[in-house]
Amino acid sequence: MDFLGEGFRRALALLLSGDPEVFGIALLTLKIAVLATTIACGIGLPLGYFLATRRFWGRRAALTAVNTALAFPTVVVGLLLYGLLSRHGPLGGLGWLYTWQAIVVGDVLLALPIAAALSAASVQSVDPRVRRTALTLGADRWRTAWTVAREARFALAAVITAAFGQVVAEIGAAMMLGGNIRGSTRTLTTAVALYTSQGDFGLAVALGLLLIAIALAVNVTLQVLQGKGGG
Amino acid sequence: MVELRGVRHRYDGRLVLDLDQFAVPAGALLAVVGHNGAGKSTLLRLLALLEAPSEGQVLWDNTPVPRRPPLALRRRVTLVEQRPILLRGTVLENIGFGLRVRGVAGTEAYKRTAEVAEQLGLLSLLERRRHELSDGEVQRVAVARALAVRPDILLLDEPTSSADRAASGALYRALAQAQAMRPFAVCVASHQLEDAYRWADDIRALADGRLSPVTPENLFRVELAPAGTDTMSARVGAIEILVTTDRAGPVVLAVPPGDIFVSREPLSSSARNVLKGHVTRVATHRSGGGGGVAVTADVGVELVAIVTAEAARELALAPGVPVVFSFKASAVRVF
Repeated sequence: MDFLGEGFRRALALLLSGDPEVFGIALLTLKIAVLATTIACGIGLPLGYFLATRRFWGRRAALTAVNTALAFPTVVVGLLLYGLLSRHGPLGGLGWLYTWQAIVVGDVLLALPIAAALSAASVQSVDPRVRRTALTLGADRWRTAWTVAREARFALAAVITAAFGQVVAEIGAAMMLGGNIRGSTRTLTTAVALYTSQGDFGLAVALGLLLIAIALAVNVTLQVLQGKGGG
Repeated sequence: MVELRGVRHRYDGRLVLDLDQFAVPAGALLAVVGHNGAGKSTLLRLLALLEAPSEGQVLWDNTPVPRRPPLALRRRVTLVEQRPILLRGTVLENIGFGLRVRGVAGTEAYKRTAEVAEQLGLLSLLERRRHELSDGEVQRVAVARALAVRPDILLLDEPTSSADRAASGALYRALAQAQAMRPFAVCVASHQLEDAYRWADDIRALADGRLSPVTPENLFRVELAPAGTDTMSARVGAIEILVTTDRAGPVVLAVPPGDIFVSREPLSSSARNVLKGHVTRVATHRSGGGGGVAVTADVGVELVAIVTAEAARELALAPGVPVVFSFKASAVRVF
């Protein structure tokens, strides 16, 4: 257990000294996570609302598909995208393999089912009278969706947090699509894995702590935002 | 104005509404009466363009309404549900919701909000939120919210179900006041006949999703002449019905079917109304859950009485059988 104590001491020193490599990795992780969460929620929340409120042929199958996608292993998504983005793959022309953009694409695919499935469940849990009331008072589709979303704001904030949590903590897609290249695609999770395998526990623990701090900061921010909403 | 034609509506394959024709004309004061589960709420949701019928057509000014009605059309009708829900925010924000989505703001929005809030006695509640209101208050806010958007058709589903008598009186006064300022059609669904007869011009009865040709249960419009006594005689068709009331002028009499004694011979009792006739129809009374039998008899006018299945058997009630209907003058309700 001594390595942990040593690791913490090293971590503290690195964080306090503002080590450029550590902060570079943290910033890249944050950039990827925020972008991927924004894209995934930007598509997933409206999709979830649509699945929850519209009756159409195949709706049940669509909901099942989205719920199944929740359990997609990150390495499988990584593998699939690797095939698509590799030089000879259909999307090879983009030249995105081993870039941070590829990690964003992988993370979006992983977070999208979370955003869609959980937001559909959140919207379904809102009293159906809310939607009918907005509609009968003359709200258009967007205003109606907004009114329902306001009622489900706590659940939807939890959806965003869950999507962010998935993105910031996953390692499979980041490793396979990003390649863990120093100074370019090294994220907190891939770095922790690398430094641990190299025996550099101090650096690994420092990065692990940063990862936890980011998750904590996002949660606190969302809670503060919800609090401001009032009752 | 709005009309349902050949409408059949199903939930999960179960037929809940089956109407050949149902219209709410412009400016009409319409009441739809029927027991719980008769299809009243479904009917109102179709009229409010919130749902499209499984079969048949909804027409607005004789033009078919598409399955996804245009916003402008939806904005001409509004529904207050049986147990309305207030949206997040204050009473003031709730009343203003329909105005905000229409882009009505500033002085006009303030004027309209204040006007309906005053009509419904909500001025002291404007800053409250939904958890700070009683059910009756929520209902009044919902009505105010609907009146604020000045619809051409206002649909009210059991508007007085969570209100006491005084509050329900206030609600109908507010409606009358709003209509005096600007004519619009009102369609109220209610299981309380009193509600319906209080102000409606036209009453339709709904039973098991179908329009019932029989006016619900022994209702008669009569003219009561002022008299010095409590008990008055009202002429209903070919017969006289004695009632206890201090009302005069045009009124509606209702003889509750459960208050009619059915016998084969005249009874010696305190009942002042003893009417002889013969049975025209005997049917199992489906609503109410009591498992009674509805006996319709022509006693000069058609009256329905509810008796138990055993009583119907013992009296051998069947079409054509002579029968006597007796009820007390005080049992007759006058509105």
